[in-house]
Amino acid sequence: MKNVIEMNNLTKKFGELIAVNNISISIGEGELFGLLGPNGSGKTTMIKMLTGQIKPTEGAINVLGIDVLKNPVRTRELAGIIPEQESPPSFLTAEEYLEFVGKIRKIDDIKDKSDAWFHLLDFEDQRKILCRNLSRGTRQKLMVAQAFLHEPKLAFIDEPLINLDPIVQRTIKDFIQDYIKKGNTVFFCTHILEIAEEICTQIGIIDKGRLLHKGSIQELKDKSQHLEDFFIKLVKEEG
Amino acid sequence: MPIKILKTMMKEEWRIHANIFGNFMFAFFPLLISIGTFVVALFVPYLKTLITIKQMLLLAHYLFLLIGVGIGAFGLFAREFMNRRFGQASLIAYSSRTLPVSERVIFSNFIIKDVIYYIFLWIAPIILGFVLATPFISINTLSAIFACGTLILSFLIGLSLVFSLSTLYAHSSKILAALLLLAAIGTLILMRYYTISITTLLPSYSMFYQPTLRKIIISLLLILLPSALSLIFLKVDYPEKKKQYENSLNTLTEKLKFSKYSYYVAKDFLDLSRSDGGLGKIIFSFLFPIVLTWVFLYIFFEKIPTINIIMIFAIFLGIVSSQIYNMLTEFDTFNSYTFLPVSVSTVLGSKITSYMLINIISLIILIITAIGTNQLVYFVPALCSFITISLYSLAMTIYFMGLHPTILLYNAKIFSQYMLMVAPILFGFTIISILDPFILLASPILLIPAIFILKNSHKKWEDWQPLSF
Repeated sequence: MKNVIEMNNLTKKFGELIAVNNISISIGEGELFGLLGPNGSGKTTMIKMLTGQIKPTEGAINVLGIDVLKNPVRTRELAGIIPEQESPPSFLTAEEYLEFVGKIRKIDDIKDKSDAWFHLLDFEDQRKILCRNLSRGTRQKLMVAQAFLHEPKLAFIDEPLINLDPIVQRTIKDFIQDYIKKGNTVFFCTHILEIAEEICTQIGIIDKGRLLHKGSIQELKDKSQHLEDFFIKLVKEEG
Repeated sequence: MPIKILKTMMKEEWRIHANIFGNFMFAFFPLLISIGTFVVALFVPYLKTLITIKQMLLLAHYLFLLIGVGIGAFGLFAREFMNRRFGQASLIAYSSRTLPVSERVIFSNFIIKDVIYYIFLWIAPIILGFVLATPFISINTLSAIFACGTLILSFLIGLSLVFSLSTLYAHSSKILAALLLLAAIGTLILMRYYTISITTLLPSYSMFYQPTLRKIIISLLLILLPSALSLIFLKVDYPEKKKQYENSLNTLTEKLKFSKYSYYVAKDFLDLSRSDGGLGKIIFSFLFPIVLTWVFLYIFFEKIPTINIIMIFAIFLGIVSSQIYNMLTEFDTFNSYTFLPVSVSTVLGSKITSYMLINIISLIILIITAIGTNQLVYFVPALCSFITISLYSLAMTIYFMGLHPTILLYNAKIFSQYMLMVAPILFGFTIISILDPFILLASPILLIPAIFILKNSHKKWEDWQPLSF
């Protein structure tokens, strides 16, 4: 299994604060890797570095064979990203926004693809409404749709199910699992452990910028350990 | 409670800026303005050879009125301010909606806070710089201090005038148009039967020479009445959430396909037309100051044969039109692009294209003015000056402030660098336009460094981390 994401000695400092501290992880093709951690542990900073949105203070990142530091735009061209904050442009309608993303990503059959997403996430009636007037949940649906419009091989997802109702959560979880079955890869950040336990194949636990654990969900299950207990124990011990 | 909200908003505004470039750089900004004004004031004895002190004072009152006009369109931005002024940041104006305080009270506090900041950052330092210079330029310090009071009144009159007009516009653009038409007709009729001087039109200015209780009351009424009415009738309610819009992005993109940034530019136009105020922003922050300036220049400089008004107007137009870039960046933060395959350079390129297209309006205004004043002979040098100033100041804005001009301008270091690059050029253009306007036919030569600087700006901002607030 070839590695899709490789990070070596990744560190990010914001002044005195070390947000990410010397982390090295490799993630193979077809994995659903969940990065878990308490609020402010460095998860979002990590995703932003891996997708070239911010530069690391130290370390190297290779995503889909691309040196992210040298070519951040190319990385974002190939990968799909659902950001932590749902921030589509305020004055485009939902439909226009997906078309705008389609034009940026040079997707030919954008109309059909957008229609499919409006249908899948059940928000067709919202397509002509300005993004700023959409509810947070609908904006989140829009963010999910834009990330997968170009059918990427790799997706970075930051807290994808926040603000969504249980029905849509189920739809997205099913979609992600199907997506993985097709050989694609997902790097997933969350602090909702039930979701991670349900869908992730591999997990990493991060706190105060340090990687405390990396392993498969199956290992925990084999030891009859609940992810929640394991997580709380680990974070408290290290804290 | 309202005072507490105001105090917290004051702190918040400070921290927004201090968080980005430090307490010192923000606090140093007004000091820099004072130093700049002090230096400019030292040239007053030389300016006296061109215009009288009385004319200078009139010019200063007009400029303060214009500053007020330029920032007073609060009536259009209520929701923008209340909601998400800086991308995703939730300001007190937004979050305090959960408190038992009406939105009108919150927004009133927001306006008061803004006015206090404008006075602290711009008006007071300008005045201080001037007053400190008076001993060196043979101007009575007491008179200068009194002038400061009347200058502040001019600023507040301009601000309150546009606040009321923009509030009216937010309710009905038709009523506003009818009112402005009536006012124009009324003024023309009055001018036919009475002699109306510019002094009469600006009571704060006339008060400097003949201070009477009546004039003080009129000035205060001109400030308080429109402001109070605007606050009463301010539109803070939220638009119909279910309003549906037809897809305009494709149609606009198709029309703009000559540009490689067609869809970004189409988005910019949709931002401008759909954001609160829409066209009103261009009217009040761009067209209104231009028209007012033209009227002023026409009345003021007509009496000074040495000064060519179409040239001065072209230079002013170049500077005012560079403000369009600020409008374009205000509703489109880079946060919306960070997770897409879009570089800062691409967004900058698209903003430059949108800027050029919107500036066709300025060009039309210049052509109409040249024809209307029968000054076509100076049209070509005026055009060269306008294009050069406009693009040169745009290049400097982008180089120093990137996609955040309205925020980074208040960094004292950035502001001083920007002013050092732009002010001498403006000064030079003004002097040359007086000496021989045709020399300015050579002004487009400045476009060479401007283009070079723009190219470097792309490189500079590409390596920069996006701001978050």
